[in-house]
Amino acid sequence: MDCRRRSDKSEGMARTIRKQMKRTTPKPKAGVAAIACVSKWVGQPIRRKEEDRLVRGKGIFVDDQKLTGMLHIRFVRSSYGHAKITRVDVSKAEALPGVVCTLTGAEVKGMVQPFIEIGPDAGQKIADYPMAFDKVVFQGEPVAAVVAETRLIAEDAAELVEVDYEPLPPVMTAEDALKDESLVHPAMGTNKNWHGLFEYGDVDKAFKQAAHVVHIGRMHFHRFSSTPLENNAVIAVWDSRSERIEYWSNNSFPAFAAQFLSPALGVRIDQIFMKSFDIGGGFGIKITNYPYMAVCALASRKAGDRPVKWAETRTEHMQGSAHGNERTYFDTRVALDKNGVITAVASRHVDDCGAYPRYEPLGCVIWAQVMPASYRLKNIRIDMSQVVTNKCPVGPNRGYSRMQQLWFMERILDICGHTLGIPTDEMRMRNYIRKDEMPYTTPNGCVYDSGDYAGMLAMGKKLIGWDEWKKKQAAARKEGRWIGLGIGSTLDSGTNNFGQARIINAGAPFSGQSKAAIAKLDIYGEVVVSLGSVPQGQGHETTASQVVADVLGISPDMVKVKPGFDTEQNVYTGHTGTYGSQFAVSGLSAIHGAAQKLRAEISRMAAWALRGKEKDLEFGVGAQGAEIRDKRTRKSINYWALANLVNVNNAGMPEELWDITFNCRHVYHAPFHIPDIQKKYGNLTLTYAAQIHLAVIEIDRETFQPKILAYACVDDCGKAINPRIVEGQVHGCTAHGIGAALMEHCAYDSDGNLLASTFSDYTPITAMNMPDLLYGHMESPSPFTYNGAKGMGEGGAAPVHTVCAALQDALYANGVIVDDSHNTGDSIFRSLQRAKQGGYKDMVRVEYQRAGRTN
Amino acid sequence: MEIKFGGNFVVKKTPAQVYEFLVDPNRFCPLLPDYQSMQIVDEKNFLVKLSVGISHIRGTAAVKMSLAEADRPKRAVYEGKGDVPGGSASLRAGFDLEMVPGGETKVIWLGQANVVGRIASLAGGMLEPLAKKNVQKLIDGLQKALG
Repeated sequence: MDCRRRSDKSEGMARTIRKQMKRTTPKPKAGVAAIACVSKWVGQPIRRKEEDRLVRGKGIFVDDQKLTGMLHIRFVRSSYGHAKITRVDVSKAEALPGVVCTLTGAEVKGMVQPFIEIGPDAGQKIADYPMAFDKVVFQGEPVAAVVAETRLIAEDAAELVEVDYEPLPPVMTAEDALKDESLVHPAMGTNKNWHGLFEYGDVDKAFKQAAHVVHIGRMHFHRFSSTPLENNAVIAVWDSRSERIEYWSNNSFPAFAAQFLSPALGVRIDQIFMKSFDIGGGFGIKITNYPYMAVCALASRKAGDRPVKWAETRTEHMQGSAHGNERTYFDTRVALDKNGVITAVASRHVDDCGAYPRYEPLGCVIWAQVMPASYRLKNIRIDMSQVVTNKCPVGPNRGYSRMQQLWFMERILDICGHTLGIPTDEMRMRNYIRKDEMPYTTPNGCVYDSGDYAGMLAMGKKLIGWDEWKKKQAAARKEGRWIGLGIGSTLDSGTNNFGQARIINAGAPFSGQSKAAIAKLDIYGEVVVSLGSVPQGQGHETTASQVVADVLGISPDMVKVKPGFDTEQNVYTGHTGTYGSQFAVSGLSAIHGAAQKLRAEISRMAAWALRGKEKDLEFGVGAQGAEIRDKRTRKSINYWALANLVNVNNAGMPEELWDITFNCRHVYHAPFHIPDIQKKYGNLTLTYAAQIHLAVIEIDRETFQPKILAYACVDDCGKAINPRIVEGQVHGCTAHGIGAALMEHCAYDSDGNLLASTFSDYTPITAMNMPDLLYGHMESPSPFTYNGAKGMGEGGAAPVHTVCAALQDALYANGVIVDDSHNTGDSIFRSLQRAKQGGYKDMVRVEYQRAGRTN
Repeated sequence: MEIKFGGNFVVKKTPAQVYEFLVDPNRFCPLLPDYQSMQIVDEKNFLVKLSVGISHIRGTAAVKMSLAEADRPKRAVYEGKGDVPGGSASLRAGFDLEMVPGGETKVIWLGQANVVGRIASLAGGMLEPLAKKNVQKLIDGLQKALG
């Protein structure tokens, strides 16, 4: 009965979404029969259109721009993690020939308002200015800036700025932050930036009825970043005559940045003009580079409206751009039935957002998009807090906030599996949400649209040769080798509902999700698509062309796509940007809608021009390029002629066709409601792509260095618009995750020094460290998108889960519990030492196993 | 990044003689490794210029020194603070003097340096052995100067 009720509820949620979808999908006008499109290009692994330009060095990045009279800015940054600023002296810098002006934090404070804060209560008391003026709260925080004729002069002059500090005790861990002994922002009165309880089902009852209850001690998800090849960059011009600020930047969410910059700079939002070009990777963390954009604009104004360029160095990027969120998990209790099915989880999570929240505390709800991960968990209680610390502010790093929750769930699944003696694959099979339960409503009201996790796991096991490896592992163990097999199941929730921000702050003035696009025939009949998206390697030009080519019956190379944010020329909404795994859904839905509208206009115009009927028209390619044919009369007209009729040869055109512009705009609205903020219940995101990774890892007994012996990943992102791009994205997120799991760590010492401010120390993954990837793909089309596609590309840090699982499998017999997401030879050595000293005894504790109830 | 060192040695001088040497910046500061010059600000404060760096990457650091504690003839403590390429450093060097039989003095010293900034991240692994080497130079020089 209970299952039946859940199923009805899931179907009810799914029905609501489908109903809303119908309302938001454009309908063809009556009589237009030829609108059904053949999917000839969508689904094909065609080469990326962007590649030719990018691999030949013809891409245009911000730092390629050279404007007349352009100046260069260099920031003077804090050496301290937490200190009072007692003196700033820029006089020597200003005296250097070639220096145009300087800015100090105190001066900037007088020019701007602090940035808006998303969080309520204590968070509203944070004064986030673009430069520090009275105290610094993280190493690398800007305290002054020098503007000079050349970049080198600016760098030399910055060295001449004298700053005196009085060190304060730094707050470097979540535990320290919670003590409130040293406050990062004294005005808050606490270091706790947000707190909320997420509770669903009947947790206490589930624990009472459990066959097993496992207690798990402190676990920790480490701080790492994305290291895009291109660092942050911006050119700003404050044009006092036309009262506008022009930005050329690689910010990946310009519509959002403008909403922060406008009140801070004291200008109307329509005075801010944003442009982006090619972007060399972003992965989310470029969303929060707006404080630097603000300073560049102020510098331009002070320098007499001259353009000011800032091109961040790698060390600046590592120290002062944005890192991914760090999270610590305390007091975790897991209830399981006699078969090892998890029936309840209770835990306390503390997220560390660094010195300023900026995009935070949105991460305190975004994790809830994947609250039960891939599992049928119904009873859950998570006490969620976020603290500020004296570390670099965080940004929405690839897999943002969901990967921390997914890692947590994967860890508890493996720990419980090992504790109860249930194999890792079997543990997942017993707990996965089944294919026939989709669409599946989670305890907090999110709807998993489709997926076959068990099928994906079976495919992955076949790919990697799981059963063979189990035999090899057993043989290797007899030889004393440490080999482990691990599985990581992950979800890539895409197309987010900004309404979830209301759960964080009931007054947050945003919700839903939308994207806009224009499809047009230009004056010579070329098909042009304008987007406001800011691609950073996702292949938007290619996939947009594939969609439009199918709608118009032409080939993708006949479609010119203009990506990039441009306030003046491209369309956008307040949600426009590239983030949150959604272009295949929101971006392509907007493009598809615009292309359909264009097709309808072409059809009407062609019917008049050919003296035929719309139902007899065929869209295709003829001797004169893209054309419309009347299959009855065999007459045809090409796009040039049609565009000519509308634009420059329109005398005699009947009045009923005057509304045709061949310039068709469509805005896609995702079918969302505002969640119930009291119950923290509602659909937070539209689609759920999934990935399942499997790894075999051996740990060297002499050096303790882990080595990946085999690696497989299976992806299901619904209908793949371009399988080549999808595979590339899976490779990318796998590399990112393996790097994070085994190499990359934004580690700080206890004084607030970042110990990885160069690539030599951070050791980002390279091709040399990558194992060969075995790749499999499944398609479970989404019922909630017009094309069955789901957003993908973030990848949910699947390798981090997988590597941890494999390491624990290798070392469990030695008493090691993998409780941190970052593992190196050094840390593995320490873990083994800890295990020898009985250090994991209290880490995992079976509170009780009911007699006769073991598996 | 905190670096701490300590040790002791015995010199054939009375505590008063050792103390007079230690609190005289004109005699003490030239013993600092890679010393370049010194400017006395007042009785207790002075500015020392040192050549600092690792291998061929070198620069000049201006270190503001002050005699923080002076308890004749038992104890002298210096504190210093300066900017180095890519960061800042603060240091505290304390000397406790004990009379030992034969009119000699046992000098118990404790050095503590705190390096912050990019340099701690770039060269953290090298700083400690380097600091150790430099401190040893200072102590060797001190022992030599005190006979």
